[in-house]
Amino acid sequence: MEMLYAIFAAPFIDMFSDPVFFAEVVINGLLTGIMYSLVALGFVLIFKASGVFNFAQGAMVLFAPLTLVGLMEQGVPVILALIITAAVMVLLAFLIEKFMLRHLINQEGIVLFMATIGLNFLLEGVGQIAWGSNVKKLDVGIPDESFEWGGILLNTFDIAAAVIAAILVAVLAVFFNKTRIGRALRAVADDHQAALSVGIPLRTIWIIVWSVSGIVALVAGIMWGTKSGVQFSLTLIALKALPVLILGGFTSIPGAIVGGLIIGMGEKIAEIYWGPLFGGAIENWFAYMLALVVLLFRPQGLFGERIIERV
Amino acid sequence: MSAKAKKINGRAETILSIEDISLSFGGVQAIRNVSFNIKKREILAIIGPNGAGKTSMLNVINGFYHPQKGTITYKGEKCHDMRPHLAATQGIARTFQNVALFKGMSTLDNIMSGRALKMKQNVFWQMIYYGPAQKEELEHREFVERIIDFLEIQHIRRIPVGKLAYGLQKRVELGRALAAEPDLLLLDEPMAGMNSEEKEDMSRFVLDVNEELGTTIALIEHDMGVVMDLSDRIIVLNYGQKIADGTPDQVRNNAEVIDAYLGVKYD
Amino acid sequence: MLYRETGQFKTSYASDQAIFPLVQDRWFIALVFVIAFAMVPFIANEYWLQAIIIPFLIFSLAAIGLNLLTGYAGLLSLGTGAFMAVGAYATYKITTAFPDINLLVVFIMAGLSAAAVGTLFGLPSLRIKGFYLAVATLAAQFFILWLFNKVGWFYNNNPSGSITAPPRTMFGIMISGPEATPMVRYYVSLIFLVVMGLAAKNLMRGRIGRSWMAIRDMDIAAEIIGIEPLKTKLLAFAISSFYCGVAGALFIFAWLGSAETEAFDIFVSFQVLFMIIIGGLGSILGSILGAAFITLTPIFLTNFPPMIGLPIATDLSKHLEEIIFGALIVFFLIVEPLGLARLWQIIKEKLRLWPYPY
Repeated sequence: MEMLYAIFAAPFIDMFSDPVFFAEVVINGLLTGIMYSLVALGFVLIFKASGVFNFAQGAMVLFAPLTLVGLMEQGVPVILALIITAAVMVLLAFLIEKFMLRHLINQEGIVLFMATIGLNFLLEGVGQIAWGSNVKKLDVGIPDESFEWGGILLNTFDIAAAVIAAILVAVLAVFFNKTRIGRALRAVADDHQAALSVGIPLRTIWIIVWSVSGIVALVAGIMWGTKSGVQFSLTLIALKALPVLILGGFTSIPGAIVGGLIIGMGEKIAEIYWGPLFGGAIENWFAYMLALVVLLFRPQGLFGERIIERV
Repeated sequence: MSAKAKKINGRAETILSIEDISLSFGGVQAIRNVSFNIKKREILAIIGPNGAGKTSMLNVINGFYHPQKGTITYKGEKCHDMRPHLAATQGIARTFQNVALFKGMSTLDNIMSGRALKMKQNVFWQMIYYGPAQKEELEHREFVERIIDFLEIQHIRRIPVGKLAYGLQKRVELGRALAAEPDLLLLDEPMAGMNSEEKEDMSRFVLDVNEELGTTIALIEHDMGVVMDLSDRIIVLNYGQKIADGTPDQVRNNAEVIDAYLGVKYD
Repeated sequence: MLYRETGQFKTSYASDQAIFPLVQDRWFIALVFVIAFAMVPFIANEYWLQAIIIPFLIFSLAAIGLNLLTGYAGLLSLGTGAFMAVGAYATYKITTAFPDINLLVVFIMAGLSAAAVGTLFGLPSLRIKGFYLAVATLAAQFFILWLFNKVGWFYNNNPSGSITAPPRTMFGIMISGPEATPMVRYYVSLIFLVVMGLAAKNLMRGRIGRSWMAIRDMDIAAEIIGIEPLKTKLLAFAISSFYCGVAGALFIFAWLGSAETEAFDIFVSFQVLFMIIIGGLGSILGSILGAAFITLTPIFLTNFPPMIGLPIATDLSKHLEEIIFGALIVFFLIVEPLGLARLWQIIKEKLRLWPYPY
């Protein structure tokens, strides 16, 4: 009885009895959610444009800031380091296309997915050999101060992240829907061979997409890296992106944002209000359970396209 | 009218009766108030231009699509919609327009999988293999081998079907459908993509199945020569509606059918 | 010349369906058995047994379990670690509560517990397909480990939070605990692998194996010919988890001796997944080859450079390992998406023709 009360009543009472704190939890959850969205965005781009679920996105989110920090440690000024890192990510995209994607044209999705798993290990290994595997502090000059707003404790950095994410999403959405290249990308996602046969330069498209995704990974990596240090566990964030993608759909850019927000907010609320009941660390699995429950009601995710099977 | 057709129309019972079926997907109406029946042991052809609703009709019969309106009466049992599992257990088997074989498995395994409903041995015996499971496996293997002989596909027994030519795949698919010992066999464009020799072979198989095993057959087919030669009765669909229902002779002279589909009087 | 099958005509379907239809194959397997049962434990030193061979056997079993689910039934699972954990913790709880029960029975009960949990997390497979289903297994992976961490009952509330295999016997022989010799533990692992591996092979060449592959290849068509998708998928989860559960039990009781939940974390799930990818999806032999590859490569990488006079720091070698793994996975998928098992088949086919080129 006590248990029932504790689960179904007490947390809600807590929420309403201190609305300011609740608002703080919600907002911080949303801001964390934005960070998830940034990572998920990278997945969505590649999936949308090449039909591949890029497992190595996590490694890219690690590799990009690692390179940045590595350069900065060598004394390279921030802006230049950013440009060089972006260039490195483009080069990486080029190499991935040349040595991996090209040879796997028209293989089934699962094969490509597994190839990206291999890529993930490659990148992790190379990154850590090149730049060392200690936790690194990253500071690109974004102000990181706490301030109060209407009684709620906020942080300038988180706000900056949200703004950057919003801009990124807007740019990408326009790019995909309004430009010729965007259309070509969507064609490629549907059917490699068909796209080739109408003259779409498959390889160029892939290089473009993976570059953009790499730069998105750089942004995401900078955000996460500044917050919690650039380290190996960044790759685990990629796993969290999966529930985000399920909620938001694998091919929807706004969906990645919405999914991230929901997961971020949901996780935080669950952890703060229900966590203590169970000894804490609910965050470990909450997102996945939430995604699972959503899937049970909508097997294609919240924003995904309904798959009609024809025989 | 052929002697067989007379015999069928005269006294055969109905195995399947479709009454007033309507089916739509979102805004698209695929089938509109269609009614017909299939008599036991006959070969019924369903023809019509592309998009007429022929495949959808088959899908309704074996429970893959669920009509919004109408009833299906199979072997005397009336129902509003079929379920695939029910259709399978009640003796309906089919082949598909785009060959729905299990591409990762060999010909033999594919046809053996058609015996799935008839194999009962549980997990534990299967793990041990020697004993009842092996006995059952070998029994069904014998049966399947007879089908393989019949369809003349011994030489490709062990080859993964994904590697076979399209015509052979269609034959294997027919084998898988036959393995279930169906009472009603639905064939969706069984001759598609075949040359005239292969079509002759396939026609021979279809006729043998019908005559020797007594299987009722409903087939969708575009080759008019095949249709006119094989079928006892023909149904013509156009834009989801039935526009003709009769013997090959009746249909080939039907003005509406000629307009909609045949183009010229077919001799 | 050696490997010809000429003259070996199968006169019955029974002999045609045999696992090893060719006489040469049977000799080869007999040889492998002789080496495994009669020679290895006497030749290999304790370090080799403990650090390399026993874990290889146990991982082979787990790999077979995962391959049944992912390779044969086509249901991607990222929860292998969790199902192994269920087996391990169940064994621990049962045997600490009932110390007199034969350990073999306990292992089987642990496997059944894992099967139950696996079936539970497999229920979503009715509605959810393909890639999305992997999320259910991820949920299982994180939730189960969290549960085993938080709820003291699972580790008998001991302060270290880890579980330790108490000394237990099977048919009178000490199997676990500090007194159990590596040789005994080797034989236990080997016997489990051989028996369960054979069972898996038998399962896959019969009705159930075909129904799983049918679901994997085209589940709509499978449903239309009468195979019931939910029952078939749940059975796949159940049996696969059983295998992983027993592997998990052996993990603690026949190999490590004690462990915390970290021993079964997401990285283990990925490790086993790599084993079946490299070894070959949908192949029992492949699972074993993949397990061999993944357990042996790190050893090789650590020991090889010193052998040729190149000392590499452990840190560096770990990263190099990662790079080589990654590169190999990509390489395999480009060259032979079907893995080591397929390579083995190709070798055999070439042997048939040897010494002729074609």
